[in-house]
Amino acid sequence: MIGYYISLALRSLRSTPILSGLMIAAIAVGVGASMTVLTLNYTISQNALEHKDDVLFAVQLDSWDINEAADATNEIPWQLTYRDAQALLRSDIPTRQVAMHRFGFTVELENSSIRPYTASTRVTTRDFFSLFDVPFIYGGTWENEADFSPTQDVVLSKSTNDKLFSGENSVGKNITLNGEPYTVVGVIDHWEPAPKVYDLNNSPFASSENLFIPFGQHRKLEIYSWGNTNGWTTGGGEGYEGFLQSESVWVQYWVELSNNEQKAQYENFLTAYINGEKAQGRFERPLKFALSKPSEWLVLNEVLSDDNRVLGWVSLAFLLVCVINAVALLLAKFLRKAPEAGVRRALGASRSAIFIQHLIESAAIGIIGGVVGILIAMMGIGGIRYLAMGQIDTLATMDWVMMVASIGLALIASLLAGFYPAWRISRTNPSIYLKTQ
Amino acid sequence: MLELKPMLSALWRNKISALLIALQLALTLAIISNIVVIVQDRIEKIERPTGIAVEEIIAINFMAIPQDYDMIGAVSADLELLRELPHVKDATVTNQVPISGSGSAGTFYTQPNQEIGGTNSNRYNTEPHFIDTLGLNLVAGRNFTDAEMQFFDPNELKEMPVAVITRQFAEKLYPNQDPIGKPLYDGNSSHPIEIIGVVERHLGAWVSWPNAGNVAFFPAVRNTQDKNYLVRTEPGMRDKVLKTLVEKLSERDPQRVIKTRVLSEYVARSYVRDNLMVKVLTIVAAMLSFIVALGIVGLTIFWINQRAKQIGVRRALGATRANISRYFLLENSLIAGTGITIGSAAALIANHYMVRDYSQPSLTLVPLAICALLVLLVSFTAALTPAIRAANISPATATRSV
Repeated sequence: MIGYYISLALRSLRSTPILSGLMIAAIAVGVGASMTVLTLNYTISQNALEHKDDVLFAVQLDSWDINEAADATNEIPWQLTYRDAQALLRSDIPTRQVAMHRFGFTVELENSSIRPYTASTRVTTRDFFSLFDVPFIYGGTWENEADFSPTQDVVLSKSTNDKLFSGENSVGKNITLNGEPYTVVGVIDHWEPAPKVYDLNNSPFASSENLFIPFGQHRKLEIYSWGNTNGWTTGGGEGYEGFLQSESVWVQYWVELSNNEQKAQYENFLTAYINGEKAQGRFERPLKFALSKPSEWLVLNEVLSDDNRVLGWVSLAFLLVCVINAVALLLAKFLRKAPEAGVRRALGASRSAIFIQHLIESAAIGIIGGVVGILIAMMGIGGIRYLAMGQIDTLATMDWVMMVASIGLALIASLLAGFYPAWRISRTNPSIYLKTQ
Repeated sequence: MLELKPMLSALWRNKISALLIALQLALTLAIISNIVVIVQDRIEKIERPTGIAVEEIIAINFMAIPQDYDMIGAVSADLELLRELPHVKDATVTNQVPISGSGSAGTFYTQPNQEIGGTNSNRYNTEPHFIDTLGLNLVAGRNFTDAEMQFFDPNELKEMPVAVITRQFAEKLYPNQDPIGKPLYDGNSSHPIEIIGVVERHLGAWVSWPNAGNVAFFPAVRNTQDKNYLVRTEPGMRDKVLKTLVEKLSERDPQRVIKTRVLSEYVARSYVRDNLMVKVLTIVAAMLSFIVALGIVGLTIFWINQRAKQIGVRRALGATRANISRYFLLENSLIAGTGITIGSAAALIANHYMVRDYSQPSLTLVPLAICALLVLLVSFTAALTPAIRAANISPATATRSV
């Protein structure tokens, strides 16, 4: 029976090409527009660290000005001061922990035709790679001492290793950063979490870094962060040491806590640490800190912006208009064919058979509309990528989940649209139509 | 008006279809009126005057390779070289590129050693040529002199002797007073910085910052590893000058990595999100009107076909063509009127949530009324052709098929 209904549906669509075309266009445009925006919002809402969501935590401590809360959604500074980061690193409670910030180097390679260039760099402690599950191709991370005393080791990204060493194993080789020799200890595989959940202060859609260097070189190189540095008070002392001891926040901090017990222990440790600092006149605000999971961190940092949400609602409302439009058109189309349904009823077709037949016709419109809608959505995403000037290229692509979702959305929309018209036509009294024939 | 009663009873027989059209129009009005206020707000933001000759400026960023680079010596040699280049009007050095989304800010006070009640402002470390290079308009006081320049190491805390500020910032610090000669305190410092000049306007580094337009300029160059130059060219000569810059600077000193980008590209990148909202929402609004219009055309044609016999009878009984067209247009207006009434309420409710949850601008009655008229016009235009076609149904139709 279903096969017969499908052939009836297709014949019926062909018999009224303009009306059918209008309906398919309505569903396709509605689905295309909403899938464009939903795909964008869906990819922006991805959590690259989902598999470690229960054990990773971004650390925030409220070391801010007593007179005014920090400018962050939870009113705790996004980053830590250098001295607090150093103090937390001394704790052995977390399974792994990372203190880090963004930086940049000029890169040169001796005896090479490559012109000097600037490379984005992450200054970090050695656990970065294991904590965020970054895969290595060659070598591994640096030794523990490198995070506390200046050691000129470097880990390269895959693209940097391809550029400098044509993808060969470069462990043990030297490159020149800001005029100083560094030894390659490892090369990571392609790794591009999008959004860049481990560093959301500096454009959440930026690429991950080209170089990674140990955390123990601040005093030697007098490193200032290339990310945000926020302060609320001047002073802290003379020179670079004064900057390191100041209340400026510029270090990002993550910990891995494997279970609740460990987490409770770490919370006690943080409480004790803040109280200790309070005794020395720091941390003048009420005691406050936060441990946020990656999923919570993405929400706190408002990666999915208000604008994204507005676009989401507008596109859903647009789809709703398209569905209502399709209801009206389907009603018109089915009622025009009422005599046909009357004859079928008189020949013994049940009400539910008529209902299902017309619902299948709506579904056919939905599937065709969905396929066209995918094409429209792809064009829409291409358009948005163009308008975004390359800022979201790591993000906006349509994966198979979204393709299936598009067809699903079109099918649901068309079935919803077809429900009332199909019911209405199945209720018509056959005798009226038989009389007029 | 005599037609109103039969019209209402006819509509009642088709109440679902009529309701569906009214509902579409209502939703359309609710969506479009909210889109209009958002788009209007963004366009106003994008078109804010920057106070800068954006189209004539190139930004150069360079990073020195050796750790012990003589940045201050390099800056004065580079600026001299840049200003000598053909078609270059002027050049300056700065710690940040205007409207680039990256820069420095601080809190300033009018009294020494304050802790609360300060004003946030974007801060530039630059030099006397900045004002001319950017095309800023000095409306009071004077520019810096070379003698006032401060050169200092990255770790040094240097007190600034003087500052030039924007008029907007001056109004916030000293409302309705002449700011020239008045002091400015950086953070909770006790050192007064004398305000020596006021420029008409400068938007600053961040376009979406709530304090955008509060800017203070200081005569200073910090000895860091990287610097930005801004180069002002003669009108229309920007792209020609751009091609030669990297080569000329590298020739003078190859020990660095140099990047150039025109200022207009920084501006476009800063407004990417706003521009995206404007374009996407405009396209959605256009498609929405089109889809709804198609729906109205389709349904009106269907109704007319269904009532071809009645129309024939009415024509046979003496109704003119104009009567028939008017009937359908009036019917359409009744439906549209209902839709617009529901839609206006829905628009205001939706806008309430847009303002509350998503910090969008609020919808006032004038744009709502304009959108309502627009929706009415779309609906009327869509019904016009089918209504005229209805009038062409001949009276014979009625007699033939009975």
